[in-house]
Amino acid sequence: MIRPANATLTIDGLPLIDEALDEQGRMTAVERFSKAHDHGSTPMQERYYRDLLPASPPGPGQQYAFEVDLDACSGCKACVTACHNLNGLDETETWRDVGLLVGGPMDEPVHQHVTSACHHCVEPACMDGCPVKAYEKDPVTGIVRHLDDQCIGCQYCVLKCPYDVPKYNKAKGIVRKCDMCSQRLEVGEAPACVQACPNEAIRIRVVDKQEVIESSEYASLVPGAADPDYTLPTTTYKTDRVLPRNLLPANYYAVKPEHAHFPLVVMLVLTQASVGALLIEHILRLIVGGSLLDAIRPIHSASAMALGGLALASSTMHLGRPMYAFRAFIGLRTSWLSREIVAFGGFAKLAAAYALVSWFLPDWVGVQTALGIGAVIAGIVGVFCSAMIYHDTRRAFWNISMTGTKFFATMLVVGIPAALATSMAATFVDPDLTVQQIMDKWGYGLCGSLIVVSTLKLMFEATVFMNLKDRRHTPMKRTAILMTDALLGVTLRRFALGLLGGVVIPGVLLIDLLNPATSFSPTTIVAAIGLTLVLNLVAELHERYQFFTAVISPKMPGGVM
Amino acid sequence: MIKLPQLPDPVANLIRAHDGPLTRQLLQSPGGFGLGKVPDHIKPDATTTMVCGFCSTGCGLNIHLQNGEAVNLTPDTNYPVNLGMACPKGWEALAVLDAPDRATTPMIRRNGRLEPVDWDTALKHFVERFGEVMAKHGPESVAFLSTGQIPTEEMVMLGALAKFGMGMIHGDGNTRQCMATAATAYKQSFGFDAPPYTYKDFEESDVMMFVGANPCIAHPIMWERVLKNPYDPTIIVVDPRKTETAMCATHHLPIAPKSDLTLFYGLAHLLISRGLINSGYITAHTTGFDAFAEHVAEYTPDIVAAKTGIDEATLRRVARAIGEGERVSIWWTMGVNQSYEGTRVAQALINLALMTGNMGRPGTGANSITGQCNAMGSRLFSNTTNLLGHHDFTSAMDRAKVAGVLGIPASRIPSVNSLAYDQIIEGIALDKIKGLWVIATNTSHSWINQKHARSVLDKLDFLVVQDMYHTTDTAKQAHLVLPAAAWGEKEGTFINSERRIGLIKKVRKAPGQALADFHIFKLIAHYWGCGAMFEKWKTPEDVFQTMKELSRGQTCDITGILDYAMLDRAGGIQWPYPESMTPKSEYDAGTGRVHTQAFEAIYTERRLFEDGVYPHADGRAKFIFEAPRPMPEQPDATYPMILLTGRGTASQWHTQTRTGKSAVLRKLYPQGIYIEINPVDARRLEIQHEKPVVVESRRGRITAKAFLTASVREGQVFIPMHYDTANLLTSSSFDPYSRQPNYKACAVSVRPVRYGDMDGQEASR
Repeated sequence: MIRPANATLTIDGLPLIDEALDEQGRMTAVERFSKAHDHGSTPMQERYYRDLLPASPPGPGQQYAFEVDLDACSGCKACVTACHNLNGLDETETWRDVGLLVGGPMDEPVHQHVTSACHHCVEPACMDGCPVKAYEKDPVTGIVRHLDDQCIGCQYCVLKCPYDVPKYNKAKGIVRKCDMCSQRLEVGEAPACVQACPNEAIRIRVVDKQEVIESSEYASLVPGAADPDYTLPTTTYKTDRVLPRNLLPANYYAVKPEHAHFPLVVMLVLTQASVGALLIEHILRLIVGGSLLDAIRPIHSASAMALGGLALASSTMHLGRPMYAFRAFIGLRTSWLSREIVAFGGFAKLAAAYALVSWFLPDWVGVQTALGIGAVIAGIVGVFCSAMIYHDTRRAFWNISMTGTKFFATMLVVGIPAALATSMAATFVDPDLTVQQIMDKWGYGLCGSLIVVSTLKLMFEATVFMNLKDRRHTPMKRTAILMTDALLGVTLRRFALGLLGGVVIPGVLLIDLLNPATSFSPTTIVAAIGLTLVLNLVAELHERYQFFTAVISPKMPGGVM
Repeated sequence: MIKLPQLPDPVANLIRAHDGPLTRQLLQSPGGFGLGKVPDHIKPDATTTMVCGFCSTGCGLNIHLQNGEAVNLTPDTNYPVNLGMACPKGWEALAVLDAPDRATTPMIRRNGRLEPVDWDTALKHFVERFGEVMAKHGPESVAFLSTGQIPTEEMVMLGALAKFGMGMIHGDGNTRQCMATAATAYKQSFGFDAPPYTYKDFEESDVMMFVGANPCIAHPIMWERVLKNPYDPTIIVVDPRKTETAMCATHHLPIAPKSDLTLFYGLAHLLISRGLINSGYITAHTTGFDAFAEHVAEYTPDIVAAKTGIDEATLRRVARAIGEGERVSIWWTMGVNQSYEGTRVAQALINLALMTGNMGRPGTGANSITGQCNAMGSRLFSNTTNLLGHHDFTSAMDRAKVAGVLGIPASRIPSVNSLAYDQIIEGIALDKIKGLWVIATNTSHSWINQKHARSVLDKLDFLVVQDMYHTTDTAKQAHLVLPAAAWGEKEGTFINSERRIGLIKKVRKAPGQALADFHIFKLIAHYWGCGAMFEKWKTPEDVFQTMKELSRGQTCDITGILDYAMLDRAGGIQWPYPESMTPKSEYDAGTGRVHTQAFEAIYTERRLFEDGVYPHADGRAKFIFEAPRPMPEQPDATYPMILLTGRGTASQWHTQTRTGKSAVLRKLYPQGIYIEINPVDARRLEIQHEKPVVVESRRGRITAKAFLTASVREGQVFIPMHYDTANLLTSSSFDPYSRQPNYKACAVSVRPVRYGDMDGQEASR
């Protein structure tokens, strides 16, 4: 029935369109079909999961644990979606992951999917690291529960967990994680993943903690998973097959930069600069001493305090819920983060007192020195705690020898030019001070020291590239690959800035000293020192950016990227 | 341990909060309705069940409702298909409805951009433009492309509207891409497009052969049923790749690509030569066996081994397993269907089942696993290849019957067959077809040899895309986009792989002005001036009543299903279901009696041909065979590798039009296109893990990330079809009987990306 092309003008379809839109908007499924009858208290699904739950609760020395039958898992990932829907998670939030192991001989390749959520460890690293005790391990069930309202959103648990379990929810400013559906287990219902696996590959069983400790002695959970000795994870992965030796996570060769944590980058570099500047001042006091130092004291101490204040302000920007940061002291017994916060809290107060007394009570030299030394000690303890925070995550790139060296070296690499700069700044305030006077007294010495520490630090950092020759794809090799591939631009900038600010410019100033024929004007020297400070600061911020982005975080095996 | 002193509660809570608003966000409470605990904030006040809208498994989902609208879902515990389980797509079925790129108003392309218009304008535009084209170039100058994704009722309306109302001759569906081969094979072999099995057969076989099928990934819930099989079945998997399913197999036959026909003739040869055939069944229920036996005589194990790459001992072992099995079932899907000789391969499998008498008994059958949620509805009721209700356009008797049911003059019904999808595309290329109406499918992504397909669509005078999203690749090329309500926003029925008719319901409001396809078709009919023809279809259920009449007396007779309410009570009903089967209690249902236990026990799982009588006029099934032909595009020096395509993960559906809209699903599959390549080839080609490579065929060039795995054999590579550049590589060749595209094998070259490769426009798309 071919229409003539001009027939449309006579059509009146509007009432029909309105009717259709009206009908489309009416919800009829309930009145027509809904199941009005309630099926009583037992969930219908119980018939499928009845056998997947333990017959009795854990006894003393026991706890609940997930058990995954690798032979039954076909990799459909229904467990992930069921967990998401039955826990009512946010749109993009998932608590369970399914990875893939690939390997096997050429003629008998193996693709083994691995589902995992929280392993409800016997010694949960998340819990130990939490500065506010937002984790609890249930004394009966062993379930590791996160207290959402206690969390301050510091995300340290995310770094601590070697299985990538706690998930940061940016919108809420807190971390959330799998609690083995404890509300369901309480009433004898199965966790969402257990209920939803079409192949009954996930079950809950009762395990002896001693058994977990014994089985954590040697074998990791599955190939590619972190060393179990760290947290004693309780999940059991069972299979009737012998897994081939060459089984590797599908994402084994994929390296991707990690989160940069900008507020922490700033916080670490500035706290170290602040402590470093005060430290240098007190070292100078021991070596050169004298009234000249007293003259720069007010402006130096104030600058150090300002740097420290900026650092602490930056650190709060990292928190999802900074208003609850005051809780941070309660994790002191187990958490290096808690200790760092307390130490830097002390540092900030002492540094502030030191600055105030130096400004307003210039004659109280003894008190000033006592406060200054106190601040330096608190600051050094704080920097050490900072280093331990990262060391405690057991990541190779964050090992204490790497992190500690870097953090303390940063104290000097930025502290020295900062001390130089405040000395120069003092010449503007105090007409009796001259640039050349300061340079002669300690300026050139500090320039020489800066060249030495900068060179050593850059060389130390460059040792990471030796890992490129590793035969195995070790975490350190991956870090080196990241730094020379995805993060190459940052690497080049970091070394260029470090060389320029830490070696070239102070070198030029030193040449000036050795060669009386040329003599820089005071303005040039001041500008050069200012530039050194800025360059070193920016260079260290780059180094710290890579500290976070180039680290390889342990995870359960991932999928094809 | 720091012991806190006893503090008043508010103070203690300030220092260590065990409870509060954030904790309560994850509070669960008993859901009622047999659900167990559910998130408190989305606790339902009612529930209702419906079938899933992704694949043909047809799982039942239990929709949690608040004030009549869906807030969550769980798999239906009692549905006989999925037994309380669902794959990730089903779990996320509601999430994809909320996408920001849902089409919410009609859109007309003006100055190169799609601009929102009201329905009246859009509908007038639709009839004017199609009217112009048809007036100028005749009824064969326009065509429609239907889908396996909309309810059967809407397919009936679309087919009737386009062909009987608007006067089109040509229309096909995307089921051409997935099921045409199986449909053709069954029709020729049995006399009717009738997949004979029920899912219970997965649990009752002692030998199962999966051919070109990877249910672990493509049909996870069917695999659930396989794992429920208590007989420790022998599982044979025929697939060039070591798929997840192959890894679970007793015997995996990694045959050379497209040597399947030879393999199955070789197995037939072995069965005959060892006397492992069921002569009684062959004599009583089949025709053409002698010629077939003669045909396979030359497929001796040595020849077959050489061609397929499977050693003779394995061939013998597999033949013995099939021949000696008590209950042998054979299952196939796209690896067979999407082939240039797929019809004959499917029939080779049917022949194996027939000659061993593995038909009509529990745990047996030559069973095609379907793809889309309603491909089976399309096969019977889309009015494309078949006249409505599996009738024949060329039969005057059939036309008269259909005309009678619809109450239209028989002259309205075309007496010639429609062009197939590929012929429609070529018709456009040759300027014979100038107007195209695409409903719920994504030709620009999914059609073979994509560059050609897209350029052809660009030639059209008028391209209408009716879809739930305005951002599909095809919609981006359209002149007019009509916004459709989705699964969950309308009513109707789907037919799943095992012929089970299941209900979908309206549990969500469609966004903006989007309308159910049912309404859109009604409106178009009105604007076209043929509204009277569809007057009696006030609701989809009215169309369902017409479908019953159309099916009367056919193999797919469903006259015994009273109404939607009965389907709802029964948990879906498999066809056939003639009037004689309706239990007495059903007639009383209106007065409050619910169905009896007996109803469930008798009717929930049924298979076909239990009596050995086939729909052919002589009541017998036919042995059909033909000599294998070489692969249309052989690897050569320039393109030395064979590209295989297929499904990537259980979380991806076809062109990702919907699955790409769920943040959770997106996390579950690789975001970028990747290519699986054997480590030996990779070493030779200097391709490294995770590094980008260039894949090139005679038709296009793409970049993809390398995934090294021995699950693909040397000389072969695999790319999942879900990524939009995959079909730039595939080549246009088709099965001559089913016209199904040969997606699974073409020749490509692979090399590492070189400097400058990324600039190529195709590579970066």
